[in-house]
Amino acid sequence: MAAIEFVHVSKAYGNDKLAVRDLNLTIEEGEFVVLVGPSGCGKTTALRMVAGLEEITSGEIRIGERVVNDLAPRDRDVAMVFQNYALYPHKNVYENLVFGLRMRKVAKEEQRRRVEEIARILGLSEMLERRPAQLSGGQRQRVAMGRAIVREPKAFLMDEPLSNLDAKLRVQMRAEIARIQQTLKVTTLYVTHDQVEAMTMGSRVAVMRDGVLQQVDAPEHIYDAPTNLFVASFLGSPAMNLLEAEIVRDGDGVACRLGEVSFAAPSSLARRAGGRVAVGIRPEHVRPAFGSSDGIRLRGLVRLVEPLGSEVLAHVEVPADPLGRVDLVDAAGQPADGFSAAGQGSATMLARFDRELAIRAEQPVELAVEAHRVLFFDLETGAAVPVADVPMAATVAS
Amino acid sequence: MSSQVAPTPVAPVSLPAPRRRRFRRAGWDLLGLVVLVVMVFPIYWMVATAFKPGHDILSYKPIWFPTHPTLSNFKDAINQAFFWNAVKNSLIVVVVVVALSLVLAFLASLALAKFRFYGRKSFITLILGVQMVPLTALIIPLYILMSRAGDVKGVDHVLGVDKLSGVIVMYLTFVLPFTVWTLRGFLLGVPQELEEAAMVDGTTRFGAFVRILLPLLGPGLVATSIFAFIQAWNEFIIAYVFLHTPEKQTLMVWLASFTTLRGTDWGPLMAGATLCPCPSSCSSCSSSGGSRSG
Repeated sequence: MAAIEFVHVSKAYGNDKLAVRDLNLTIEEGEFVVLVGPSGCGKTTALRMVAGLEEITSGEIRIGERVVNDLAPRDRDVAMVFQNYALYPHKNVYENLVFGLRMRKVAKEEQRRRVEEIARILGLSEMLERRPAQLSGGQRQRVAMGRAIVREPKAFLMDEPLSNLDAKLRVQMRAEIARIQQTLKVTTLYVTHDQVEAMTMGSRVAVMRDGVLQQVDAPEHIYDAPTNLFVASFLGSPAMNLLEAEIVRDGDGVACRLGEVSFAAPSSLARRAGGRVAVGIRPEHVRPAFGSSDGIRLRGLVRLVEPLGSEVLAHVEVPADPLGRVDLVDAAGQPADGFSAAGQGSATMLARFDRELAIRAEQPVELAVEAHRVLFFDLETGAAVPVADVPMAATVAS
Repeated sequence: MSSQVAPTPVAPVSLPAPRRRRFRRAGWDLLGLVVLVVMVFPIYWMVATAFKPGHDILSYKPIWFPTHPTLSNFKDAINQAFFWNAVKNSLIVVVVVVALSLVLAFLASLALAKFRFYGRKSFITLILGVQMVPLTALIIPLYILMSRAGDVKGVDHVLGVDKLSGVIVMYLTFVLPFTVWTLRGFLLGVPQELEEAAMVDGTTRFGAFVRILLPLLGPGLVATSIFAFIQAWNEFIIAYVFLHTPEKQTLMVWLASFTTLRGTDWGPLMAGATLCPCPSSCSSCSSSGGSRSG
C-alpha cells in the first residue's frame, strides 16, 4: 500500500486544451477517494496518468515515495479495473486472474494459491475454466476485480467499473467493492460520473469540472457545504434548487428577498446589501407548510408530480427568479436540466413530499423551507458565501 | 322508377402475403441457381475433360459425362517436362510471399492502427488507391525497373528478371496492401483497453502485442494468409513476363506450355488445370475453421 499524490499535475492534448489543470490531490495510504465529475471533466485522464497510460504534461505524480512520471505502467505496481472490464477474451477466468502474477514471475504454487483464494472470495471458483464471453456482466465485473486484487498492488485504480451493470447489480457491486476495499485497506482511486456512487463509496470525494478540481472532502460535508454552485448542483439527486435573490438592509440586520418573500439573512452578507446572490435549497429541505410551521414560506403551484415510491417529487412553480448564470453550474456552460426556468419572476422548485399528502398537479401549495439550510452563492464567481451566523426567523412579506 | 345503387367496392384480386413471399423467394432461389450453374459449369467441364479420352474431348458432339474415364491425361501432365520444377518454384514463391506478407503486414497494420504519426491517413488512403491500379498497366514499368535493378550491384542477387526472388518482390507489391488493410481492420476491432490492461498487469508494450493482440488476430491472420496464398499461387501474368527459363517457371506458366504453335493438348492441359488449384483449395478448407470469425 502507498499514498498517491498529484502535485501541480496538468495534461494537455495537442497545444490547446488542458484536460487536467494544476491538479493537487493526495490519496492517503489505504484511503478510498472517489473522483467524480461530468463527462469530459478530466477525471479519467487523471486516473490514467497514475496508471502510466497517459503522459503527464507538467507536474509530478508520486506513488508512495517514488515519482512515477517516467515509469512504465508495469513498474508502477498499481492495478486497474476498466469500464468495460478489459478481460482477455481468449483466456479463461483462471488465465485472466493469473496473468499479472505470471508477468511478475510469482512462483507457480503461489500463483495457484492466490488465484484460488480470490476465486473463492469472489464466488468464481466454479467458473475458472470459462471464457469471459460465457460470463454474465456481474461475473465479468468480479473477474476484473479479482484480477486487480490477486496482484496485491500498492493501489487500485477503478475507471467507472459499475457503469455497464444494470441498476440492481450496480447497487450490489457498489457495496461489494466498498467491502473489499475496507477489508484489504488498499489505497483506491475510483472514477465515476455517478454522484450516488461518489456519495456512498468513498471516504472522501473529489469533484472535478473542466479539468479543475473543485472540492475534496468527506461526502456528507461536500453535500452540506458545497464550495460553489457547480458542486452544489452536481451532487445530490434530485439536484439542489437554485434561485436568485436580492440582499437588502433590514434595520440593523440583513434580509434576503426571494421573490415575494423576505427572510433574515446571515450578517456575513451585509456587505452585499443592494446586490443579488444565488440561493441554494435542497429538495428535502422543502416541506409543505402547516399552520405554524417555521421556515421561509413560498406559495406556488404544483406543475408535475413524480412518484418515487414512499415519496413524491413535486415540481412547484414559485414566484422567484430562477438562476440566470446557468454557465456556473454546467460543465460546458450550457443550460442544465433539473431547475429549468419557468420564466422570469417564476421558477420551478423541486420538493420531496410524503406520498400520504396526496399532492396533485395544478394544486396550489404553500412551501416551508428550513431557513438554516439555505445556502448562498456569489452570482459572479459561483463561490459559496461563508455563513457566519444562521438566520432562524422568517417573515412573509405581503 | 329506377334507383341508382352505388357499386360495391371490390378488393383487387391478389395473392395472400405469405404466398406472394414464397413466390418471390422461389424467384430469387432460381436466379441463384442459374448463377451457380454459370460459375460451376466451367470447373465441371475442366474436371470432366481431364478424365475424358482424346476422341471424346475432340468430338464435335459434346459429351457431358466422361463415359470412359481415364487417368492418362494426368499421367501425361505429370510427365510433361519441368512439372516438378514448376511445383517446387510455385511452392517457394507462395511460402515466402505468405510468410513475408504476414510479418510485414502485421507490423505495418499495428503501426497504422495503434500509433498516431504524420501522414498516417494519407498512407491509408494510398494503400487503398494502390489496389485500384490494374496490374497489367504496371507490367511494362515493373519489367523495366526490375531489369535495371538486376544490373545494380548489391541488389542483383535478389532483384532482376528471371529470378524467383524478383517475382516474390513483385507479388508482395500487390499482396501487401490488401493484407495491411485487412489486418488493420482486425486490429481496430480489438479494444485498446486490452492492451492497456496487459501493460498495467506487467507486460511491455511489445509483450502486450505478442501476448494479447496476436492471439486475438488469429482469424485475421488466417484470412489474409489464405488471400496471399491464392494470389501468389494463381498469378500468371507477372510470372509469364518475368520468368523466361523453363526451369524457373511457376505452375501457372508451365500450364501454358500445353498450348503451342501446332495447337493445344487439351487433355493434359485440363488435367494440369485440375491439379493446380488443389493446394490453394486445401489451404482454404483447412483454415476455414480458424477464420470463421473473420
